[in-house]
Amino acid sequence: MEKKVYTTSLDFLFYPRSIALIGAAHTEEKLAGVILKNLLRFRGRVYPVNPKYTELMGLKAYPSLAEIPEFIDLSIIVRPASEMPQILKEHKGKARCGIIVSAGFAEIGENKLQDEIKKIARDISIRILGPNCMGVYNPYQRLDTFFLSQERLKRPKMGNVAVISQSGAILSCLFGAIRSANIGISKAVNYGNAVDIDESDLYEYLANDEYSDVVISYIESLGDGRKFIERARVLSEKKSFIILKSGKGLSGQAAAYSHTGRLAGRYEVFSSILKQFGIKEAMDFDELVDTAKAISYQGTFKKSPLFTKRGVGGIGKRVLIVTNGGGSGVLAADECIRQGLDVAKLPKNRIGKLGQIFPYYYTINNPFDLTAQVRNEDYIITLNELKDDYDGFLIIALTGVMGVTEKLGVLMGNVKKNISKPIVFHVGHDRVSRKLIAILEKARIPVYPSPERAVKGLKALLNC
Amino acid sequence: MMKIKELIKKNIGKTALLEHEVKALLKEMGFPVPKGIFVDKEMVEQIPMIVDISYPVVAKVSSSRIVSKSEVNGVRIGLKNEIELKKAVLELLQIEDAEGALIEEMAAPGIEVIIGGVVDEQFGPVVMFGLGGFFVELFKDVAFALAPIEKEDALWLVNQIKGYRLLEGYREKPPVDINTLLEIIVKVSGIIATGLIKEIDLNPVSLYPQGAMVLDAKILNILLSRKI
Repeated sequence: MEKKVYTTSLDFLFYPRSIALIGAAHTEEKLAGVILKNLLRFRGRVYPVNPKYTELMGLKAYPSLAEIPEFIDLSIIVRPASEMPQILKEHKGKARCGIIVSAGFAEIGENKLQDEIKKIARDISIRILGPNCMGVYNPYQRLDTFFLSQERLKRPKMGNVAVISQSGAILSCLFGAIRSANIGISKAVNYGNAVDIDESDLYEYLANDEYSDVVISYIESLGDGRKFIERARVLSEKKSFIILKSGKGLSGQAAAYSHTGRLAGRYEVFSSILKQFGIKEAMDFDELVDTAKAISYQGTFKKSPLFTKRGVGGIGKRVLIVTNGGGSGVLAADECIRQGLDVAKLPKNRIGKLGQIFPYYYTINNPFDLTAQVRNEDYIITLNELKDDYDGFLIIALTGVMGVTEKLGVLMGNVKKNISKPIVFHVGHDRVSRKLIAILEKARIPVYPSPERAVKGLKALLNC
Repeated sequence: MMKIKELIKKNIGKTALLEHEVKALLKEMGFPVPKGIFVDKEMVEQIPMIVDISYPVVAKVSSSRIVSKSEVNGVRIGLKNEIELKKAVLELLQIEDAEGALIEEMAAPGIEVIIGGVVDEQFGPVVMFGLGGFFVELFKDVAFALAPIEKEDALWLVNQIKGYRLLEGYREKPPVDINTLLEIIVKVSGIIATGLIKEIDLNPVSLYPQGAMVLDAKILNILLSRKI
């Protein structure tokens, strides 16, 4: 393990050297048992705390936090909510950071109890994540505090995407989607009721995290809106940052006196303000994952001088669609139009030349249709001829026809180096496609399961 | 902006402001408002003498308890002379909760927009812009920004609504005076950002090729709402 320099209190949350698990259990039938099992892979020191045991899963168990012979970086607490004030007080002078996994606080109306632990945490100067949360996952440290078994929910591989979720359920679903999208993650956090560490604190931390290039954040409700906007703005200047907000249908101030008051729905105001500060918002779960994938794979491209703080201008929005299936190309073009991308016509001087190269039954237009008679090389010829005329490229390769093989992946990898502009793929699913997808994605070309989703990935890369 | 703060503070302690009080305040703050006069029951008989505005005029019911004037049939437009005006005002005063009537010069028809501000629970003061009249009711084509904002952000805000092209001059209509519009938005954003007002609503504001006119307005004072 490389030497970690600890500069902020959140470093101890993501890079603890020692962990105590309060309420550790001996079996995976209990949440704290699953957590302990996941912690067995952790490279630092782990101290299970449970007065009923002297040993748990091969580790020495401690009757109390006080008995542990060192100052703990991270304490994970899995005990009934009613015991929490007392347990927290025992952390005084004993731990830097705590994750309260237990539920039973403001989410069920126990606001008083939640306020009490908030106050105690402040009084004894301990940073708290939660309550009602799963905590953190840092694959680079093999740190996993989730109460979900790794056999049941496979974790994504290491990578450059940080995932922040208010909801544990959504985080677990994101893990599944991120794995099938072949994205790697740098850190994941579920922060629950956020009595202390909230989304804004995590944004501030991740803005300076060298492992994260992309940050995605699922939000249900906000604490301090102004603090949120300030931190989100800074984060989106330093990293690619995408927010998904649920609860879009919640109405505005019901008892409003004015028109403005009645129109100022919580979500409408939220969404407008994100735009005002140039912060990206995904409209749904798929868009969040698709966008993260594109940026994780290809990074952001150099912005044009016209680029403003709100992303207006981006790097240009002319898209070339090259396909071997007419319908798929049209669906992609439709989605481009919906997303404000420009499916610009081919320049006249190129049409003549391409007409001489290709058979008469190819559609030399945009979408560029290479038909079922396509050969791998046709994609390459088309891209090389037109690479200077467009800002981004959406390639559709349906592998049911004999002319498309996995060799296309290798050829595309080379073309990508020459073009150095955004390229995304849509590939249909069949026997050949699995291999092709693997080769393309190894060359950092993101592949999507539908034309529309490929467009959303491309849009993110074009910064429109 | 200091002046605006002073003007708002002068009105602290009053019960919910009536339209003519709001407009007097807006006029002092430099907003364009129609020339008008407020009359109550005692003043009805003096209408011919006190009304120093040119016909045609509009008469509107005035009440702190009536939220929508049109819903109680509380607006009379195109009143051409003293007789029509007096009759209209007498009718308006019969409306439940009426505290008086506001008589104003008829403004020329223009493109109607809504400009408002609220103190949002999460974000604090925000300013809103949208197309007015039935557009705002029907399509909710509005956008918000954190207040206060400068002109550049006001222009961005105006560009956010779907109906933006109407303002640029649609189907041979001349474009509206965007600069005046932006000035009004910036000013409203400044008012809501003082933190002294809970809600402000300029609805509608009529936009012209040159200039603009605030036809109706509401202000809810935050200090009043907390009953200080």
